[in-house]
Amino acid sequence: MFIEIEEIAKEFGSERALHPVSLSIPSGALIALLGPSGSGKTTLLRILAGLEFPTSGRVMFDAVDATGLSVQARRAGFVFQHYALFRHMTVFENIAYGLRARKRRERPNEAEIGRRVNRLLDLIQLPDISSRYPSQLSGGQRQRVALARALAIEPHMLLLDEPFGALDAKVRKELRQGLREIHDTTGLTTVFVTHDQEEAMELADLVVVMSMGRIEQIGKPSDIRTHPASEFVRTFTAA
Amino acid sequence: MRAGVLRAPSPLPGFGLSFGIMMAVLSVVVLLPIMALLGRGVVIGPAELWEMVGTKRIRAALSLSFRAALIASVFNLVFGLLLAWVLVRYRFWGRRLIDAAIDLPFALPTAVAGIALTALYAPNGAFGALLAPFGIKVAYTQIGIWLALIFIGLPFVVRTVQPVIEELDREVEEASATLGASRAYTLRRVVLPTLTPALLTGFALALARSVGEYGSVIFIAGNLPFQTEIAPLLIVIRLEEYNYDAATAIGLAMLLISFAMLLAINIIQIWSRRRIGDV
Amino acid sequence: MSEVSSIARTPSVTTEPRLIRTLLIGTVVVLISVLLFAPLIAVFSEALRQGWVAALESLTSPDARAAIGLTLIISAIVVPFNAVFGVAAAWAITKFDFRGKAFLITLIDLPFSVSPVVAGLALVLLFGANSWLGAWLIAHDLKIVFAFPSIVLATLFVTFPFVARELIPVMIEQGRAEEEAALTLGASGWRIFFTVTLPNIRWALLYGVLLCNARAMGEFGAVAVISGKIRGETTTMPIMIEMLYNEYLSVAAFTLAAALALLALVTLVLKSLLEWRYADLLAATRRH
Repeated sequence: MFIEIEEIAKEFGSERALHPVSLSIPSGALIALLGPSGSGKTTLLRILAGLEFPTSGRVMFDAVDATGLSVQARRAGFVFQHYALFRHMTVFENIAYGLRARKRRERPNEAEIGRRVNRLLDLIQLPDISSRYPSQLSGGQRQRVALARALAIEPHMLLLDEPFGALDAKVRKELRQGLREIHDTTGLTTVFVTHDQEEAMELADLVVVMSMGRIEQIGKPSDIRTHPASEFVRTFTAA
Repeated sequence: MRAGVLRAPSPLPGFGLSFGIMMAVLSVVVLLPIMALLGRGVVIGPAELWEMVGTKRIRAALSLSFRAALIASVFNLVFGLLLAWVLVRYRFWGRRLIDAAIDLPFALPTAVAGIALTALYAPNGAFGALLAPFGIKVAYTQIGIWLALIFIGLPFVVRTVQPVIEELDREVEEASATLGASRAYTLRRVVLPTLTPALLTGFALALARSVGEYGSVIFIAGNLPFQTEIAPLLIVIRLEEYNYDAATAIGLAMLLISFAMLLAINIIQIWSRRRIGDV
Repeated sequence: MSEVSSIARTPSVTTEPRLIRTLLIGTVVVLISVLLFAPLIAVFSEALRQGWVAALESLTSPDARAAIGLTLIISAIVVPFNAVFGVAAAWAITKFDFRGKAFLITLIDLPFSVSPVVAGLALVLLFGANSWLGAWLIAHDLKIVFAFPSIVLATLFVTFPFVARELIPVMIEQGRAEEEAALTLGASGWRIFFTVTLPNIRWALLYGVLLCNARAMGEFGAVAVISGKIRGETTTMPIMIEMLYNEYLSVAAFTLAAALALLALVTLVLKSLLEWRYADLLAATRRH
């Protein structure tokens, strides 16, 4: 899906989280929103998902205005920073949740749900954990289950909020590769938020550097490294 | 703790003194009287006890106490959940006043509640007079008993569920929405199951309290044998007749219900800890 | 706060539609008004039905004065006693690990789920004339049942868990590290308790004492069974209310009731103040 963000601004009370920002995300791209905390990157991601609504501006999906579209109707696969798994449900039930929540007419039958869940468990390379509860999983496993749960609804795009933030360094490296592979197999337009410049540079096709509610620079990792557009970008990406 | 060791070693002082005070007071104030009741039951003998509990008037009183408590607690289960949700999630004028008022039934003596409710719902009372034209009688009927038990049981579900709602992770509800679930589906499938253990605990506490309630009920109940005579009142009546055996029989039956409630609460807590764990 | 206010203003995915919110709030306000506020107002309006003078006069009758005095003495004995017990129990339970702890906590909670009337009955059976203990007491001219000591015992029974129940979760939350640190600095046991533990738990303790006091002054069922209801001698305020009410002395009954209702209101106000000011320190108590 081709995403266009046109002059989006967001205020919380008197506080300005986003100044009008614009951004085009080509279909099938893997994009990083990079910036320190308070830069507005998570707010932008949540606006794409329909979890927040902009104070002004438009969001276009495939050239259709989606600004007022409800979160349910957007079909954005969203992975939360702390995964937000349903802890009273098994891994299987977590992944099947989005399919079972559909209206009866659109809901696949139980056998089909089972097939899809198992396919996703294979995709995240955890075929044997379907009957476990989230509390019985490691951090890395939880992250992958959250990813599988988001993919189960056959999303139009994949949005991830600090997907590696809660993991230790070693697992983080492994899962980075995993996300790249999943992106390449599914071909989904993917946007992830991170404050880690190395992660953004290594993983993304296109990096959007943000600060204080504004976009500082949009570019390929190599361009940002060699031609930083501002002093902020230069210091923030030089680590 | 190692097997065979009653107490794990600790560097802190005062175990002997504090444990001693606790056990001494617990024994004299609570355990000894309960033992006396159980002991009296043993002396009377199970067959005799069973026969007394089986008499019509006692059976009617016990079943009324239990049924009315069940009705009131189910009401409080639903209303308590609603109250807790509204108090935690919504902002409106007077919210703090209502939050503070929830504990009124804990603080207000039951006898005071009893005469106040009776004054309101007696046929010439403010609410009683309103209901009378519709042929609804509250005071001196079973409805009055339900009302009194709803009053005294009101805080239990609210106060057990409220902190759990406060700690609910909003991200989990958002996750449900991003997966396409409607708000109603989210509430039913994600929020409600998380609240279930607290709801059941509050329900059991309210039930235990209302089965044994006396002060607020006797004023509004009318106290007619077989119709509006609750079990605790029958204990008082039998005691006044110096029929200690019958009083003991009813008391033991009620104690059994209390123990069952306590057991249920403990099982709920172990079950929820095991199932949900912490993420 | 900024998160809360933004939820109130913009459509949020984690709340219900506006119409439903309004409907639910309305239901709550109406039901609470009918169930809680109306009875409270009724107490005061019934007490003042014949004016302030009649109400206040009813309080000065010898029986009423005796009842008020008795209730005050009872709570003056019961509350400190239960406070000491509560602190001791919480110390033993939270600072040490021993077998059967969970069972012990359940026993402490027992009075919450036992009917006060059953508690009174149990005391009658323990100390009454036809138990061996009762017979021995009578032989030595010690009167417990239908006398002052039994009212104290009955009140102790029903208010027993209050202080311990507030303290235990708070002390579990606070752990043992501070006490252990004091120990390494050479402090004695009592010194640790008064300088380290007590300052940490004082608001929870006050909170427990408040609830304990409200219940002690208002206990009815257990006292009704065991006091014998001897006018001017073993009639506490709640018992006196019942007697006056049954004698159709409505103003006198409701005036005494209003006095207790005032006490309840003061308790609630203090409790709310404590909760708002020391929310963090009391957070653990609400969680049980």
